[in-house]
Amino acid sequence: MNSKPPPGIPPDIHELAGEYVLGTLSAASRRGVEARLGTDAALRAAVQAWEDRLLPLAGLAEPVEPSPQLWRRVERSLDALDAVPRRAGRPKPWWRDWNNLALWRGLTAGGFATAALLAALLVTRLVEPPPVTRFMVVLVAPDDKAPGWVVQAGASRQIELIPLGAVDVPADKALQFWTKADNWSAPVSLGLVTPGQSLKVPAGQLPALQPNQLFELTLEPRSGSPTGRPTGPIRYIGRAVQVL
Amino acid sequence: MSLSSRSFSDFDYEATLAACAAGDRAAMQRLYTQEGARLLGVVERIVRDRALAEDIVHDACVNIWTRAASFERTLGSARGWIYSVARNLALNAVRDGRREVAVDDETAAALDARASLEAWHDMADAFAWQDSAGRIGPCLEQLEPVRRNCILHAYVDGFSHGEIARRLDAPLGTVKAWIKRSLAALRECMA
Repeated sequence: MNSKPPPGIPPDIHELAGEYVLGTLSAASRRGVEARLGTDAALRAAVQAWEDRLLPLAGLAEPVEPSPQLWRRVERSLDALDAVPRRAGRPKPWWRDWNNLALWRGLTAGGFATAALLAALLVTRLVEPPPVTRFMVVLVAPDDKAPGWVVQAGASRQIELIPLGAVDVPADKALQFWTKADNWSAPVSLGLVTPGQSLKVPAGQLPALQPNQLFELTLEPRSGSPTGRPTGPIRYIGRAVQVL
Repeated sequence: MSLSSRSFSDFDYEATLAACAAGDRAAMQRLYTQEGARLLGVVERIVRDRALAEDIVHDACVNIWTRAASFERTLGSARGWIYSVARNLALNAVRDGRREVAVDDETAAALDARASLEAWHDMADAFAWQDSAGRIGPCLEQLEPVRRNCILHAYVDGFSHGEIARRLDAPLGTVKAWIKRSLAALRECMA
């Protein structure tokens, strides 16, 4: 770990906290502050003080009525989270063992497994805030929204696609894993997927993950898309939710 | 029913957040009804895209629900914490994304060399900031309008130093110094 503050970070804690809350720090400096917040109580107090000082200014932005769909989306996400108990600070629960894929395969597919996985990500975050932005993605079938896969991305510098259950793929076809961020012109292939097996993609092959980044699995010829772009129907799709 | 018509003076944010931490979904819905439109307004102003703003408010709700237990009420207000969750997601989205344009220090120094600060002193207010309630009002008033504009463009519009410099047609280094000193002045004034 590099403990030296990145260049451009103000040395004074109140100045740093003020620029962080105001929003004028660069992306790298913001991440530096977020990494420190988990362990630096003084900085956390300074940040929260600035949040309260500047909060009245939020009233200068005109309220915007959300679409009726927005709360329903929130409810669906909270439903997935609520299927398992959540408590910060309890001893390492069995479901925090990410690498135990046999465990995941043993679980029934669907909501519970998804929720457990999401809660694992989120509670891990609460207990030991790691210094890297984490993302979670649930890939669901476009028609019935049934969760089929979860993408884990965070400190490990790799993206892992984890199956939640069995998937039927015709013998002459294959599932191909794609991702596309908002400002990319086209999706990038992350490789062919073996049904029921996880796939690890080194993050070094990709630009840093972005909030809202799309992930999808499409049905392609057995050797993969002939064009380098998705050609078949989308079987599973989801977007990255940043977990602070 | 308009979500934005609700007053926040008589809503118990601390109790609502505590109820969320205890898993009370109705509390989360009350919070959304209370703040959804205002949060969406704040976020959309920063990211300038309605669909992305709704995505971020969704993510903020997931974060608020999940992390409600981690809110430390000794450090500040629950409402401030809720806004910090949404604003941080929005700011991260624009800082990591397309709107960041780097201006190197050398360019900044060259721009500073021909700075003429006097030109900015009589600049008009860009925000009807007097309407903003709370203790920050009189302290904002003590800042010169151009410095006030820097603070407000940063907080409300989510502008980076570089974007503020371009908006105000002011040297980057000057904008950085204005913001730094204005923050110090605000903190002292509100102590």
